[in-house]
Amino acid sequence: MGIWDLEPVPSMQIIPQDTTATSPYDTVWTQVPEQQPEGLERVMLAEDKLFVVLAVVLIIWFGLLFFLYRTDRRLDRLERSLERGISQDPDESVVG
Amino acid sequence: MNWMHGAWAVFEKDVRLELRSRYAINMLLMFVLAALLLVLFALGQTPVSARVQAAVLWIVILFSGAVGLGRSFISEEERGTVLLLQLNTHGSMVYAGKLLFNFVLVLVLNLVAVAAFVVLLSVAVPLPGLLLTTLGLGALGLAGATTLLAAIIARTANRGPLLPVLLFPLLVPLLLSVVSATRAALPGGAGWAGAQDELLTLVGFAGVVITASVLLFDYVWND
Amino acid sequence: MNAPSTRKPAIDLRRYRFVRAAVGVWMTGVIGFAFLRDIPSLEILEHTARNLYFHVPMWFTMMAAVIVAAYHSARYLATDDPVRDVRAEQAARVGFVFGLLGILTGIVWARFTWYVGQGIWWNFDPRQTMVAVFLLIYGAYFTLRSSIDEPTRRARVAAVYNLFAAATMPFLTYVVPRQMPSLHPGAEGSPAFSETDLAPVMRPIFYAAIIGFIVLFWVIYTQRVRTALLEEELEENPL
Repeated sequence: MGIWDLEPVPSMQIIPQDTTATSPYDTVWTQVPEQQPEGLERVMLAEDKLFVVLAVVLIIWFGLLFFLYRTDRRLDRLERSLERGISQDPDESVVG
Repeated sequence: MNWMHGAWAVFEKDVRLELRSRYAINMLLMFVLAALLLVLFALGQTPVSARVQAAVLWIVILFSGAVGLGRSFISEEERGTVLLLQLNTHGSMVYAGKLLFNFVLVLVLNLVAVAAFVVLLSVAVPLPGLLLTTLGLGALGLAGATTLLAAIIARTANRGPLLPVLLFPLLVPLLLSVVSATRAALPGGAGWAGAQDELLTLVGFAGVVITASVLLFDYVWND
Repeated sequence: MNAPSTRKPAIDLRRYRFVRAAVGVWMTGVIGFAFLRDIPSLEILEHTARNLYFHVPMWFTMMAAVIVAAYHSARYLATDDPVRDVRAEQAARVGFVFGLLGILTGIVWARFTWYVGQGIWWNFDPRQTMVAVFLLIYGAYFTLRSSIDEPTRRARVAAVYNLFAAATMPFLTYVVPRQMPSLHPGAEGSPAFSETDLAPVMRPIFYAAIIGFIVLFWVIYTQRVRTALLEEELEENPL
């Protein structure tokens, strides 16, 4: 059973309140689009919009991953300069 | 040396230098006029809403401020007078003198910009008092924020173009309040009552910016 | 040559390793609960209400990073300790990334939830605008740092700019929301849940997510500070 099959808690239905305060954005987000969603939206809106959550989690995951790689690159650079430093160690350079 | 005298001496020195060359003031005025005219040419005959008028006016003022006010400390570095000032005065006096000078400069700039703006766009101003108050408070906030940043960029390698980059993000609260307050002074605006919050924000902004600058200035100045 | 540095280590490695392990377990739990616990189903929001656990902590984490960066900048000016400068810079960098992630996740959430069928990606939501300005400020901070070569002067000037910017930030949080309508809780006419009707089921996971992300920030930040300190060490005393 997928988690989207679970019944929502019925008592928690929230009645939309304060409909008198109409800002221009109100009309934007309460309108339910009549036409069938297309393309990207069809994917994102499937399964009660669960894929939106997936997208958000993936963005965060990839962002942190990218950051991790950046730190890794700096460590690589450090390692390389350490190696170079060791090969130029005075003891060895006297021999060479 | 008395603190007030010291600050005043720095201010007087800057004014005298400025009157001799008239470089900063000429540049600022030319910049404002050229920018306003360019906007007018680009708009053509299109009628512009009061909100857009206020926005255009302040964008032009902020840009010319960012271009012109960066000079105040760079010129000291170029003339090699920094050391003299450091030896003879206290940092806070230099800051106060420079702030006063920049404030006067921005105020002149604002008045010219508004005059040009009113004439060129044929804007009616039902509440000139509110507009002038907004201009004064906006000038204070702008000068307060710019003076410290000008001292900062005088310390960087290639001084000029960095100031707008540092300045604009910090001025977003100022820009938003000043545009609303100006909008309130134009026809169809909310008037004094509607601009109350914005004016208070401007006073607070100028106060915080100047206090922070006074506290931080010594660290940039005595390096 | 190769002399061990005399100053005491800037980071307690045992504590760091412990926290790193703990945050791994903790966040795994948060993510698990975030998907598996039932939540009240609201119209429009549907399952995207679960984004509360991931999107909102980005904002909290960025604020934490801003505070950490400002604190270390202030300490730098007071003590002239170069480690403080490294800490301030790294906190700002990690905070910048969290802010960016917050903006990107917010854009995706709004696009496929409130702006379905409208094709609106960027909107002038106050919090989005605010984070955008924060990112601009830190972008300016990094630009300023890269424009000065001399380390002590760079550290000092950057610390001054960071503190100056931090002083103006409260105005941003006060002014911007007054100028724009918002999708966020507390705004007029927003169908999104506000603080008062955040469902009790969601509350513990939400708080756990905030704590988890802030600790995660601390771990990444400490890792970066370690790297940066090593880099500096190598530059000062090449082997």
